[in-house]
Amino acid sequence: MPSYEKIPIQIAPRVTVFAVLICILFGVLILRLWFLQAIHGDYFRDQSENNRIRQVYVQPPRGLILDRNSVVLAKNRPAFQVDIVLEDVPDLSQTIKRLAELTDRPADELLRAAKSPGRRRPFEPRMVLKDVSREVVVELEARRWELPGVQVSVIPARLYPFGDLAAHVIGYIGEISAKQLERPGYTGYRMGDVVGQTGIEARWERFLQGQRGIKEVVVNAAGTKTGEASFERELSGQNVVLTIDKDVQAAGEKALGEHKGAVVAIDPRNGEVIAMVSAPRFDPNWFVGEMPRGVWADLIQGAGKKLTNRATQGTYPPGSVFKVVMEAAALDSGVMSMTERVSCGGQMKIGNRTFRCHKREGHGSVNHFGALVQSCDVYFYTVGNRLGVDRIHSYASRFGLGQPTGINLGDESAGLVPSTEWKKRAYRDPEQQRWYPGETPSVAIGQGAVTATPIQMAQVLAAIASGGKLYRPTLVRRIQSADGTFVDDNFAPEVVGELGLDSSIIETIRTDLIGVVNDPQGTARRAKLPAAWNIVVAGKTGTSQVVSLDHREKSDAFEHHAWFAGFAPAEAPELVVAAIVENGGHGGVTAAPVVQEVLQAYFMKSRGLSVALPGTESVTPVKRVEESTRAN
Amino acid sequence: MPIDRRILKQFDYPLLFLAFFIPLLGLGVLFSAGYDSNRMVSLAWWLPLIPSEAFARQIVFLLFGVAAMLAGVSVSTGMLSRIAYPAWFGALALLVLVDLFGVIVNGSQRWLVIPGLGFQIQPAEPTKLALILAMARYLSRHPPRPGGYRFKEVLPIAFLFLLPAALILRQPDLGTAIVVASIGTIMMLFMGVHLRVIAVVMAIGLASIYPAWMSLHDYQRRRIEVLINPELDPRGSGYHINQSKIAVGSGKLLGKGYMEGTQTQLEFLPEHTTDFVFSVLAEEWGFLGCITVLGLYLAFLYRMLQIAARSKDLFSAMVVLGIVAMIFIHTTVNVGMVIGLLPVVGIPLPLFSHGGSGLLSVLFSIGLVLGIDMRRFMFSKN
Repeated sequence: MPSYEKIPIQIAPRVTVFAVLICILFGVLILRLWFLQAIHGDYFRDQSENNRIRQVYVQPPRGLILDRNSVVLAKNRPAFQVDIVLEDVPDLSQTIKRLAELTDRPADELLRAAKSPGRRRPFEPRMVLKDVSREVVVELEARRWELPGVQVSVIPARLYPFGDLAAHVIGYIGEISAKQLERPGYTGYRMGDVVGQTGIEARWERFLQGQRGIKEVVVNAAGTKTGEASFERELSGQNVVLTIDKDVQAAGEKALGEHKGAVVAIDPRNGEVIAMVSAPRFDPNWFVGEMPRGVWADLIQGAGKKLTNRATQGTYPPGSVFKVVMEAAALDSGVMSMTERVSCGGQMKIGNRTFRCHKREGHGSVNHFGALVQSCDVYFYTVGNRLGVDRIHSYASRFGLGQPTGINLGDESAGLVPSTEWKKRAYRDPEQQRWYPGETPSVAIGQGAVTATPIQMAQVLAAIASGGKLYRPTLVRRIQSADGTFVDDNFAPEVVGELGLDSSIIETIRTDLIGVVNDPQGTARRAKLPAAWNIVVAGKTGTSQVVSLDHREKSDAFEHHAWFAGFAPAEAPELVVAAIVENGGHGGVTAAPVVQEVLQAYFMKSRGLSVALPGTESVTPVKRVEESTRAN
Repeated sequence: MPIDRRILKQFDYPLLFLAFFIPLLGLGVLFSAGYDSNRMVSLAWWLPLIPSEAFARQIVFLLFGVAAMLAGVSVSTGMLSRIAYPAWFGALALLVLVDLFGVIVNGSQRWLVIPGLGFQIQPAEPTKLALILAMARYLSRHPPRPGGYRFKEVLPIAFLFLLPAALILRQPDLGTAIVVASIGTIMMLFMGVHLRVIAVVMAIGLASIYPAWMSLHDYQRRRIEVLINPELDPRGSGYHINQSKIAVGSGKLLGKGYMEGTQTQLEFLPEHTTDFVFSVLAEEWGFLGCITVLGLYLAFLYRMLQIAARSKDLFSAMVVLGIVAMIFIHTTVNVGMVIGLLPVVGIPLPLFSHGGSGLLSVLFSIGLVLGIDMRRFMFSKN
């Protein structure tokens, strides 16, 4: 038998004391229960039967979206919606029938809305019609007694005062989807909430949304509202101030006109996006309220792909604009000296293939200046041949090509700059995995497998303009609360890359780009700003082939894409603009004027300049001041 | 660990019965509390679809609870004594981890996410058990002189329970911190504390009411103020207390009937499957249901106290006593809060409220008590 340790204290009496203590406290609980349930039971029973305080969610107004000068691009307007409280409806089919008659909507549609699945708290109103007209509201209010359980409420609805202006940047809103609700980014959201689906509306959703409020509504036994008290105030969403300038944006949209295409304007000093145009556009107002029939089908399946933001999602062969990268590669790697001249006879034989220059009769003997200014293909075939595809790839990567720019707008395309490595990954057949030297010349002139988005090409020019720095393009300048008390403007420019080129090389390229616009032989003379402004434009045209020349047909869809990317003032650039006009033909003819108009709009605004009307030679006073100060 | 047949003869079957009868009653109440005809839930393919999420989940928790209790039974008393201190240090380490990396839920940092496993643990539950073991071991090794513990002796004991309580308070989880501190205090008082020490501590306590009040979070202060005068804020903090009191009181003597509680079914009652589950019972079963359930709890606690009284060594007695203290505090604080006697601090009703970690922890503790009891005659020196 094991020996027991002697217990130094007496347990049993202490346990008794503890037991008594427990009994006393339980006694207190039971007394209290007796007090509540027996003595005051009738009072509380009455209270519970009259417990008719219902909590109702209040939708907060969504934050505004403003341009860089505080012009409102997205705001809210009051809208009427019709809700139904199922618990208060004695005969649902009867009520729905009457409602359908009054609002001229199909009854089954209303019934589906009223009974849509999803978690609903008791007495929580369910929306059956959104954004109904004032006439319908008057009608419904007048017949309230016929429609028990039906109520009309005023909610804030989105309004985009400029319609389709900057639609692809702003994006559109829509009811939260079941899929979105399951994502961690949407915790706290409920079925029926309206959230941003694309663009700024989606990327800054958390800030724009605000916080829903809870209102306590006191109702009588019939469910009619007899009073209300605010329980938790709703908090309006925060305002997002964009880097976009509404006027420059509008100029870009106007310049593109009926063409498909894109324009991107970036401040090379900090990466702020001043304008981002994608055409054709959609009107985000279509997504508020009931969408007209056919509109959605057109948006999704229509030939124009209106919802695509061509500026960040459209990938195109950059064509000759890519020669900017090639020139940097040629001079930095030393495969081409500053003085070396290449003779262009209109074509070049590499291996057993003949590569043509776009100018059949040839450019004669050209150095880097002549080659860029006249966009001589033979010169760049030679450069490409000497570099090889992998070195081209490496230089293009330094300019940010082949990878997303990092602009926070969602689903950005990366574009592509081929390399031997890429080909191994992209193809399975060992024959196709090999890189043939005959493929390099096409790459050297921005054709073949090379693709880039308009914003990437703007970045290429911005890198030269800024003297070698690559900033992350940004669209938001600051976030501010609706009452203006809280401001977050902690959006410092972010350098995401360095070209790592000698400054003499960058200056050489700059000079050559000035030549493209200003030299008598230049391809982009239509990009020039009014001579009196004394603002020099630099840039590069591109005309990219849609399909190879052999299969060319006489059809608009196979017309070349026109590119121009440039900046001004050439010596101290403030704005880089890249434009692509799909099937627009020659870059110098179609795209350069688009960029010219955007630059013109920008400088008119920032420097108070104006354009002399045709036929008059008058000079505005503002400009005179400008000149006189310069003379000093 | 093999369990001898002779030991099983000593098994306390009434306690085992109560430990599962109370949760079964709880399941009945939970079915009503979590009832939602629009939402059929089943947590496993072999379980039928049930229109009450709390009920479906609690069944699974209960099955795990059986395993937890078996685990508790199989731990030998000697082993308990050996792991007492490591468990305390382990719990403390978890609390510090929560402080550093915890996940914030509803504004407080209580959960620790296990990387790679995808589930979260709330270290507050194991902390209570670890504290009971460590206190039992320390107190049984350092019994007081006649007259009770003096100041110097109280200090290390207080350190044992105030340190984890302080860490839990930082989360901030006032309710659990109070429970932890109370468990420690009750166990210490049980051994005996010198009257002079008690007098001084009470004096200090009274003097620090004001600074303590000032250090409370706004919402905590609000709840205490509202407790004293619920009319102060019938829409805000008073809402919970008011709705709960209406639910309890409107049950009257015999209740509104099962599944007939309007406060519950119309969701006026907040948290009605967890912290306020007793209100559901009170509303649907009335005063009669309440005293029946409270009577069961009383029998349950009394049974365990008897085990403490008949244990043959001090460590065993103190472990059982600590567990009694834990369940007792939980029950009193929860019911007190639901009927408007105590502020709303978010303490679940043991064996009744919906929730996995609480149920598992309590059933494991009862397993420990049963194990300690049946081994009382085969004492090995710990």
